[in-house]
Amino acid sequence: MTTAEIVLLAGGIMTALAVLFGVVLVVVSNAFAVKKDERAEKVEKLLANSNCGGCGYAGCAQFAAALVKGEAQLSDCKATPAANKQQIADLLGGGEAGEDLVAVVHCNGGNGCYNKYAYQGYGSCAACELLAGGVKACPVGCIGKNSCADVCAYGAIEVRDGGYAVADKQKCIACGACVANCPKKIIELIPRRAAVYIACSNHGKGKEVTELCARGCIGCGLCAKNCPAGAIAMQGALPAIDYSKCVGCKKCVAVCPRKCIREM
Amino acid sequence: MIVELGAAGAAVSVAAILFSAVISNNIVLAQYQGICPFLGVSKKMSGAAGMGFAVIFVLAISSVFCWLVYNYVLLPLKIDFLYTMAFILVIASLVQVLEIVLKRFSPTLYSALGIYLPLITTNCAILGAANSAVVYQSFDFLYTFAFSLATGVGFLLAIVLLAGVRMKTDGADIPKCFKGFPITLITAAIMAMAFAGFSGILAG
Repeated sequence: MTTAEIVLLAGGIMTALAVLFGVVLVVVSNAFAVKKDERAEKVEKLLANSNCGGCGYAGCAQFAAALVKGEAQLSDCKATPAANKQQIADLLGGGEAGEDLVAVVHCNGGNGCYNKYAYQGYGSCAACELLAGGVKACPVGCIGKNSCADVCAYGAIEVRDGGYAVADKQKCIACGACVANCPKKIIELIPRRAAVYIACSNHGKGKEVTELCARGCIGCGLCAKNCPAGAIAMQGALPAIDYSKCVGCKKCVAVCPRKCIREM
Repeated sequence: MIVELGAAGAAVSVAAILFSAVISNNIVLAQYQGICPFLGVSKKMSGAAGMGFAVIFVLAISSVFCWLVYNYVLLPLKIDFLYTMAFILVIASLVQVLEIVLKRFSPTLYSALGIYLPLITTNCAILGAANSAVVYQSFDFLYTFAFSLATGVGFLLAIVLLAGVRMKTDGADIPKCFKGFPITLITAAIMAMAFAGFSGILAG
């Protein structure tokens, strides 16, 4: 064979192979096409698309597929705005839209809460918690080692100057990552429209609390007595706010002698 | 072209081929092929195992098809010098077909292997093993299949071992400048040296 013939043969065979495989691919992809549920795509567009993983699925696409199949609940997603959830519920014919949420830290102790010992170790709350229940005297006080900030993908929560963690309402998408990672379990998702929250988790009476923390709730009950809407009830020595009744007058903030009911 | 061996010799040489492909001539640690997924997908044990099995799966099937194309198309037409290009074509389209078929008939296997399949479409370990078995060593059909299966097992062994070590080094207190990839490369180098210790076994 001459060189020209070899080149032609080589080119021809390779082209033939390529065309053959191309045809096979086209045939196979048509023959074995998987029918997709078109709703999944629409649902995915309506989701927050933050891919935060708060629902337990790998991402919003997987969550959308599970929603369409009916394996997941709409309420599992915290990040999607309620208006969009309503649209998804309409699209899928059911499901609770729920309410927009935001994370708050029920503690404002920080530097005001006494230390049991001088902690020198690995800088995470979980590690600190293993050592005699954390460095803080209060059993439900923020340890302040930023375990919540470590898992927040949005930079919405961090330990501020006071020595305790504060969530940023603007940045928080309520994925719930910090709630799950807090060893003290003092972060909670509350309705986004809430005007106030209680920045203490200690159910102890006045003397017990003042021995532990300079800023904790002493359970005086002034907030409950002065609430015009009757939204605050004392649970032991700690108030609890019923956000379905709260009108947002912020009277409780004004009367609290320990300043541990705070504005959002 | 085809290795001619007696009955006893065949058994010994199959064992030798398998041992060489898995350990002493390991595709990653002795031939330095497939380093990309070896380093990239070895962060977690589950991912590493998934990648390893995907490589075994693709390698076993693709080298068989490469053998057919080489022996029944390229050799008779005397254009066997095109084997690299032809093999890339075969492997790439085969993996695509596999992906489509898997997606249709086994969604479970697809979701397990799914993200790894496109990753290894044109991986050098796959092409290298096919080249080695079909062209350089001119194995017959069954030998090619056994060799590529063993090469895949070798890859699985290497990546699972590395993943195991990496899970330890991630939590270990190592100097800051070595954290992440540097310590991984050092780990891989030490593993390669350990595997080099086996290389003398088959020499005699």
